[in-house]
Amino acid sequence: MRNLFIDTASSRIILAILEDDKIVYEKNVENDMNLSTRIFPLIDEMFQKTNMQPIDIDRIYVVNGPGSFTGVRIGVTIAKTMAWALHKEIVPLSELELMATTSVEQTYKVPYIDARREAVFGAIYDKDNQVLLKEQYISIEELCKHIPDMNDVAFLGYTPIHIDGTIVEPNVNLSMLIKRHQNDRSLNPHEVNPNYLKRTEAEEKLEKSLHD
Amino acid sequence: MKDTYILAIESSCDETSVSINKNGREEIATVVLTQMDIHAQFGGVVPEVASRHHIENITMVIEECLTKANMTMEEIDAVAVTYGPGLIGSLLIGLQAAKTLAYIYHKPLIPVHHIAGHIYANALVESMKFPLIALVVSGGHTELIYMKEDYSFEKIGGTLDDAVGEAYDKVARVIELPYPGGPRVDQLAHEGEDTYHLPIPLDDESYDFSFSGLKSAVINLAHNEKQRGNELNKANLATSFQNRVVEVLTKKTMRALEEYNVDHLIVAGGVAANKGLREKLTELCEEKNIHLTFPPMKYCTDNAAMIGAAGYYAYKLGRVADLTLNSKANDKLQ
Repeated sequence: MRNLFIDTASSRIILAILEDDKIVYEKNVENDMNLSTRIFPLIDEMFQKTNMQPIDIDRIYVVNGPGSFTGVRIGVTIAKTMAWALHKEIVPLSELELMATTSVEQTYKVPYIDARREAVFGAIYDKDNQVLLKEQYISIEELCKHIPDMNDVAFLGYTPIHIDGTIVEPNVNLSMLIKRHQNDRSLNPHEVNPNYLKRTEAEEKLEKSLHD
Repeated sequence: MKDTYILAIESSCDETSVSINKNGREEIATVVLTQMDIHAQFGGVVPEVASRHHIENITMVIEECLTKANMTMEEIDAVAVTYGPGLIGSLLIGLQAAKTLAYIYHKPLIPVHHIAGHIYANALVESMKFPLIALVVSGGHTELIYMKEDYSFEKIGGTLDDAVGEAYDKVARVIELPYPGGPRVDQLAHEGEDTYHLPIPLDDESYDFSFSGLKSAVINLAHNEKQRGNELNKANLATSFQNRVVEVLTKKTMRALEEYNVDHLIVAGGVAANKGLREKLTELCEEKNIHLTFPPMKYCTDNAAMIGAAGYYAYKLGRVADLTLNSKANDKLQ
């Protein structure tokens, strides 16, 4: 099985091609403000260097969130358009689960993405990568209450947040993640959409006004 | 000669649309998915909500259009896309989908300016005879453009503040008409009489427009009537407002036609659907023997059919972009 991996959701752009779970090509570069202009040259470079074409791919794994809303949408639009047009399998993956593949000494892992206003998109995993708290939009304070041992936890994130704990920059293990999801059922590309974990402010306000 | 087919994508605001155009003139199939009802509950387009709907719909709309046209991507010669101006998050969805298709099928990528699309909507009706003057009137634009040939856009005047469609929407809010207010003001204007004294906006020798003064005058008038306990005649206010707008638009347009010695006028953009403007321009152009083209109503709102037409002429001129093409919230028509 020849897999394409696309992640544009976080502070890193990660593109990869894997034969089953073996990495053939991996590019992990900083995601700056120019994602929209940089993404296709990077995709093209990947296919050139591997001497492949999109048609040669069997399955597309795409990170569909949480993360920067625009960043997530760029990767997901490319992946779903490619999967739909070329009749390829497509499987969405979580950015937080990807970050949690980082190996650390601590027992607990808390991948997070800064969501501003002292809140994050976060989750809690244990050493065996079992989910202790499923991914959600949560205040930092509330998140910490769910961590079993604050002295034995690694916070995994690309940007600093106000927290009294050890922050570790993620060093993701793509091979591990793909292996874990190799039997996931492929979805209809039309139905692969971002997982924002948060509604828009306009929708929240509207909901509130309807309740009041 | 071999036929040329353009697949065009438009997602600049709250419509996800895909169209297939043949040789510039012929619209083979168009699909428009509007989010109007969704945004109506917010009283206007919410950019983040719009982006979220575009991504959910984009591949389905492309598929439906190809199915409707009974065509495959292999039969398409080039992919055209609205790169701007518009809502950046919305534009990006159409742009990345277009780039993906262009990349995997090795097709040229044609960037189209949204306003060029509105202008070239007229090419779907009849061929454009140059030189011509285009009056572009929409929620974001009010411009007089002189075109001596394809893709030559010389702006001879434009709005200094609000776009005409914007002024309509604000007036609609003052007289408490539901979103989208512009077309409802136009409708109401046909029921009232021109009784309210309102200033003619920027009635000078330039080709520029200004609608903020007129808009403020309407707001003040509504406020003062309320203070005095007088009931506002909404229909009469709509008529008075519309008459001032139409007066200044038509006056400057007719003068431009004369000065530039042009006998073909085309009207483009959402406000081209305005009945008041249509009636007055039709009357004046008949009088002066000017050939007038209005896009059909279905092309006045945002759609990819017009992007397909504009894309075709851009393609013929070799206006091809590479894969670094970016969306732009604002960009000069060129």
